[in-house]
Amino acid sequence: MSFLIRQTLIYAVPLMIVALAGVFAERSGIINLALEGIMIFGAFVGVLFVRVMQQAGVFDVAKEMSNYLALQGFMCLTMLVAALLGAVFSLLLAFAAINLKADQTIGGTALNLLAPALVLFLIRIIANQNTLQMASGDAASWFMIKKAMLGIDSDTSNFFVDTFLNKVYLSTYICIIVFIVLSIILYKTRFGLRLRSCGENPQAADSLGINVVRMRYTGVVISGALAGMGGFVYALTTTNCSANGDVAGFGFLALAVMIFGNWKPLNIAGASLLFGLFKCIAASYSSIDINGDGIYGLTTIGLNANFYRLLPYVITLLVLAFTSKNSRAPKAEGVPYDKGQR
Amino acid sequence: MKKDGKLAAFWRKDATRTVMASLISILIGLAVGAVVILITGLTSESLSLKSAWEGIQLMVLGLFSTGREAGTLTFGFNGTNIGNMLFRATPLILTGLSVAVAFKTGLFNIGAPGQYLAGTAATLFIALEIPSSVVPPWIIWILAFLGGMAAGAVWGAIPGMLKAFLNINEVLACIMTNWIAANVVTWVFDVSNLKNVVENTKTGYIYKTTYNNVQTPKMGLDKLFPGSQVNGGIIIAIVLAILVYIILTKTTFGYELKACGANRYAAKYAGIKDKRSIVLSMAIAGALAAAAGSLYYLSGNTEFYWSTYQSLPDAGFTGIPVALLAANNPIGVIFTALFMSMLDIAGLQLTNLTAYNEYITDVIIAVIVYLSAFSLVIKMWISGRKKRAVATTDAPAEPETLGEETEPAPEQTAEAAAQTDAAEEAGKEASEQ
Amino acid sequence: MPDSEHTESEYIIEMLHITKEFPGIIANDDITLQLRRGEIHALLGENGAGKSTLMSVLFGLYQPEAGEIRKNGQTVKINSPNDATALHIGMVHQHFQLVEVFTVLDNIILGAEDTRLGFLQKKEARKRVEALEEQYGLHVDLDAKIEDITVGMQQRVEILKMLYRDNEILIFDEPTAVLTPQEIEELMHTMRNLTKEGKSILFISHKLNEIMEVSDRVTVLRKGKYVGTIDTKATSKEELSRMMVGRPVQLVVEKGPAQPKEPILMLENFSVPSHLHKGDAVKDVSFTVHAGEIVCVAGIDGNGQTEFVQALTGLERSSGGTITLCGQDVTHASIRSRSQTGMSHIPEDRHKHGLVLDYTLEQNLVLQKYYEPRFQNHGFIRFDEVRAYAEQLIEQYDVRSGQGPVTIARSMSGGNQQKAIVAREIDRDLPLIVAVQPTRGLDVGAIEYIHGQLVAQRDAGKAVLLVSLELDEVMNLSDRILVMYEGEIVGELDPKTTTVEELGLYMAGAKRQNRKEESA
Repeated sequence: MSFLIRQTLIYAVPLMIVALAGVFAERSGIINLALEGIMIFGAFVGVLFVRVMQQAGVFDVAKEMSNYLALQGFMCLTMLVAALLGAVFSLLLAFAAINLKADQTIGGTALNLLAPALVLFLIRIIANQNTLQMASGDAASWFMIKKAMLGIDSDTSNFFVDTFLNKVYLSTYICIIVFIVLSIILYKTRFGLRLRSCGENPQAADSLGINVVRMRYTGVVISGALAGMGGFVYALTTTNCSANGDVAGFGFLALAVMIFGNWKPLNIAGASLLFGLFKCIAASYSSIDINGDGIYGLTTIGLNANFYRLLPYVITLLVLAFTSKNSRAPKAEGVPYDKGQR
Repeated sequence: MKKDGKLAAFWRKDATRTVMASLISILIGLAVGAVVILITGLTSESLSLKSAWEGIQLMVLGLFSTGREAGTLTFGFNGTNIGNMLFRATPLILTGLSVAVAFKTGLFNIGAPGQYLAGTAATLFIALEIPSSVVPPWIIWILAFLGGMAAGAVWGAIPGMLKAFLNINEVLACIMTNWIAANVVTWVFDVSNLKNVVENTKTGYIYKTTYNNVQTPKMGLDKLFPGSQVNGGIIIAIVLAILVYIILTKTTFGYELKACGANRYAAKYAGIKDKRSIVLSMAIAGALAAAAGSLYYLSGNTEFYWSTYQSLPDAGFTGIPVALLAANNPIGVIFTALFMSMLDIAGLQLTNLTAYNEYITDVIIAVIVYLSAFSLVIKMWISGRKKRAVATTDAPAEPETLGEETEPAPEQTAEAAAQTDAAEEAGKEASEQ
Repeated sequence: MPDSEHTESEYIIEMLHITKEFPGIIANDDITLQLRRGEIHALLGENGAGKSTLMSVLFGLYQPEAGEIRKNGQTVKINSPNDATALHIGMVHQHFQLVEVFTVLDNIILGAEDTRLGFLQKKEARKRVEALEEQYGLHVDLDAKIEDITVGMQQRVEILKMLYRDNEILIFDEPTAVLTPQEIEELMHTMRNLTKEGKSILFISHKLNEIMEVSDRVTVLRKGKYVGTIDTKATSKEELSRMMVGRPVQLVVEKGPAQPKEPILMLENFSVPSHLHKGDAVKDVSFTVHAGEIVCVAGIDGNGQTEFVQALTGLERSSGGTITLCGQDVTHASIRSRSQTGMSHIPEDRHKHGLVLDYTLEQNLVLQKYYEPRFQNHGFIRFDEVRAYAEQLIEQYDVRSGQGPVTIARSMSGGNQQKAIVAREIDRDLPLIVAVQPTRGLDVGAIEYIHGQLVAQRDAGKAVLLVSLELDEVMNLSDRILVMYEGEIVGELDPKTTTVEELGLYMAGAKRQNRKEESA
């Protein structure tokens, strides 16, 4: 049970944060189809940063001295770097969609094509193979929190400790906190109110002196930062801190989660847990880095592996089919704002 | 004087501007590719400036590369490369057509990879399971080709139906059906008896269709381009492109499809069955994408890696830039597909002859797609100063009616929105009087 | 009073000799508008006369080529809407600038929020708004969502938005277009209240009755030019309309008495489901339209007319009852089979339904006919026939466009787009014409033309079903009026014997007839 919750959270958290990324873009009026691409880019940037820092020997000392605080801080720094470059990458979409009034679907698709191409091109040159890995060790041994680190006796074993304090990544909790904080900002602050008004009726916002262009840029940049960070968190927790120009459709699943959650954070949190569970079931089959103690629970089910892999996508489609009637997208999303049309 | 007028008219023509916009996109794409090569060349220790220069040369002229002699790259006519370009262009023409047809109906078919896989799987099953000892191979070939197209049509119709009846965003639906196709195809081949067990290094692959004596005829093209993989598939693809062109521009069916794409509500108002049109358009798109996979694997010299659940075929995605670059014109698709496959060949040369790799061509393609997202802006730049002078005040001359006149429909594309440029409208209004 | 030194200035806002040009067109040609403190000043002009351009100049959206703006006698520079706001100029736009999914309160504070550390302080805002509601008698539920309240209420929200920002110059852009006569009355009352409290009002309209009733002075524009400013008391409707149009206008459509013949369209207990709620948007409607008469369905926007038309023409499904067209039951027929049975349709929204804007004019003109044998041969379009037909219609109905048949519909002016639709639908020569808001947003010339065409069709023995929100159109054009209120037909009136006031009572649901006997 602990294993399942832990593992579900590992999938649910990136989904949740990337779905929120979608919310910030769409609530400002821009469809961000590029979430997948930004994730890919963020994952690459994060892994590259870890690798370069390792090669520079910056944190070996900390590792040797078991200075976990420094290692966790290092990981947070990496998340920040991934977020930053994700935001920069998303500017490409913002520029096309806002300044040039481009077709947002095509613009997003372009980024989805660009990210893996660029990333693979660079990975090939850097690593001479198709996957970029850490320079040494693996993600678990470097960044995972184990109960011993927290000074909890190794004999202590109860549900709470096993589920939430042992073999977990700090990034999971950071993401949850970021998610909550941003949700509050979206609903309780002046900025949030104005952002949402731009996605619903930019003409009205403009007539009240709100700078629609700046708001939409902000929305997309926040979106890019969250997706970039989500990409790295995904790489860290599910692919052992490696990047290969692919996040297995996670960005698109996040979009589905966003629609399923009706563009509302609370619903999105619920939806991502649901999807995380399915994704967890599907991936636990092919994934090899599951720690020994939990694996027996899943192998006993014994259905064709292809079936589990299929499941998340089929369910997404079904969910979309059933919720499409009730879903309510921001009214002005996808429509370029033209000042002349007031 | 008169010649000048003719030239001006030539520049004003929409088709001219479209072609120019595409050429500019290509140039910018290549320039970005060159910059990326240059930057990596300058920053990476393992790469020299000389290799960067070689990389750029190959990126542009890869088609005419004849290898390396005494350390320097050599260029010249390379029949094998050209033949291979034609061979690789075949699926791209078809996936490009697939995307273009859907675009004409207002749908973004990003599902071509899944439809391609569906077609591939159906074709391979038919081509390999019907024994050629009983049925003549050419009949099997036809059955396999048509069967593949039928499978793709069904697969394309699924997101079409979701869009038509439940109004689900076709992009998301297509992406999901892509992954479902990838998993299903893996699954069915996994349990099939078509895995290549004859050659022991090839168990990851399905038998070539030649294993059952089924193969696309070469139609003499192999003599023209010796040593290449080219076959009659390219001719079939071109014929299909012309057919699609005729359907879209000359028939009432095409009129209906395009009306649905341009304004679904008006089409419905006029009694056109909008839902049927959407499903049909996606089915046709699916069949075309499937034909791409079908022809590719019926060539006899290609083999299918069946455990594909983690990756989608590039040929499907490349259909998007092929269509966009051609401005969704079926005839234009032939040329843009040839260009894309030329890049493909260049990428191979790059991998073989330098420390760079083929992914740079994907970067170029992505840049081209990015640019085509605002092709209308580029077209406006081209159409010159006079128009620009009019458009600079993006201000409506007759704002009285503007609030209502130019309110964009929700589905309106950027292209359409930009065309509502009210100043332009004012000019038109003046010319009406 | 910081402005005390300028109080000698009679005018709070002056726009002097404003000229604004756009390529090919002079939208404002030397226009002067002076607004007195505390007055209601009407700005009168047709669609396209330059009213909105002038207001856009006042709001800093455009910079004029010539002329100056003064406030309290001081020259001011208005470069953006924010400058206008700083000068306390506020506007209720014709299309309300409201966020539908936000609450009333959120809409009022949007853009002028009180915050602490970035967090919204709604309590104080609520108090202020409530005080304003009290002061001006503008009561609205602050926690209701905009999409759930009536149009009249939404307009109150717009007024409260201006008051919340302490605006002293209030501009109302065509504020009555969407209101019932009673709501209009209320608005007039509110406007007078506002001026009593020291606000100055600029009232943009082309409706003479309202201008006569509420305004103190009128400035008239025509085709971008200043015609004059006069005291309302010293003028008449006739004079104003002459100033507005430049020639005497027929305020009444000329038509003889109707000669109804056989029934063409019969509706019995016709119901249509609602998109918004579980119930029906149109309930149990029964009536008959005969050949040779114009029957008008009147009502305030949003009372089921749109749903009614969509279900009648087949765009939506009905939930009950029957439609009989030319003796055939078409209740469940497809759009095309209805139209082939004898129904043509001039749709409400010419951009959404009426035209494929990216198609050429000729392609649009055959939109209802492209499949007929004349225009196709084994599925192939006969382009020569399409061209010939288009040229004939363009000639016959005087549809003007830049490049004739190959003009892209999007680039045509609104009036000519509508003419193209009218030409297409009338030329189909079908027994029933359903015309929905056929003159929306058009200038007087185009309106006269389209009204004339509809009357001519009636006289040629067609049945015309008109659905309109414009009271003048309803009163002038129809032979019988059916009033729709909340999806029901609440009254049948004869335009010759009824008054606008009575019509208004029916439209507002304050009065209803029991008209079961009609179906007999």
